[in-house]
Amino acid sequence: MNALPETLQYEAVEVGQALPELVIDLTPTVIVSTAIASRDYQDVHHDRDLAQQRGSKDIFMNILTSNGFVGRFVTDWAGPNSIVKRVAIRLGAPNYPYDKMTLTGEVKSKEIVDGEGIIELTVRGANRLGDHVKGTVRLSLPRNS
Amino acid sequence: MSSDDPGSLDARLQELVARAKTGELGPPVRDPVNVPMINHWCDAIGDLNPVYTDREAAANSVHGGIVAPPTMLQAWSMPGLKGRGPALPKDQRATPAAAAAGPNPMRLLQEAGYTSVVATDCEQDYMRYLRPGDTIRVSAELESVSGEKKTGLGTGYFVTNKSTYYDQHGEVVAEMRFRTLWFKPPMQSKT
Repeated sequence: MNALPETLQYEAVEVGQALPELVIDLTPTVIVSTAIASRDYQDVHHDRDLAQQRGSKDIFMNILTSNGFVGRFVTDWAGPNSIVKRVAIRLGAPNYPYDKMTLTGEVKSKEIVDGEGIIELTVRGANRLGDHVKGTVRLSLPRNS
Repeated sequence: MSSDDPGSLDARLQELVARAKTGELGPPVRDPVNVPMINHWCDAIGDLNPVYTDREAAANSVHGGIVAPPTMLQAWSMPGLKGRGPALPKDQRATPAAAAAGPNPMRLLQEAGYTSVVATDCEQDYMRYLRPGDTIRVSAELESVSGEKKTGLGTGYFVTNKSTYYDQHGEVVAEMRFRTLWFKPPMQSKT
């Protein structure tokens, strides 16, 4: 039987707590494979010539993938029995190939809602141009019962 | 069509927003939620959460079995390379292809020179995680078009769409607000 990794308990999480940083190496393969895995075939996400014709310096990450990395970042920290309730993101600087995106986050609030342990996190993903993504995530964590 | 008078462009945009059909439920998306697409997504994102890819571990989790990553939501309803996805009414889709089928606000924006499009905001609420076999339908509405804004990319308009995701039982499984910026490429706006 495959063991399930630990999940953080609601009671163990403190407001102000920082999440461990996650650095994503933005290789062309990451940009293209994530666009295709999200079934986004807009040429700017896989064809550098066309992306440049459209005024972009290179291909760039699609927003569905930014969502995916924010989700992964949060559940990597919280564990497999955490449940994502909401993700709200705003995009800024594009994620171009040959850069890195560093995801950081912090617990903003915690609250019991209808018996469920809910925490709110702020998340930011920065590359060398600035903030690629800023957002908030709402997560349900198991309670210490 | 002239774009010299942003006041009148704004008025015509708002008129078209008011006329856009809202909340019509689209047909089921092309494929049910499925394990191969979940696996491809997790490989690309590097997500090792076993509830998405490990049948045994997932069975021992709060989910009781494999679930799809919640942030994968839109992947299920994308039109794909050949556009064989769900056909939403054209006036509700904030894409260049949909704009071509006007009259709608997006076509008006394109004709006025706002020909570049980028996604800027996405808010998703998940009522439950999707499971392999779930069949998704989406109802979409064009919620709003902003006034003209100056942005780092150029002058443009923000178009906000709201989508509601339903399962095969007619239950709402997720809601999404998605905002795109339609802007004049910098070379054009200098003239």
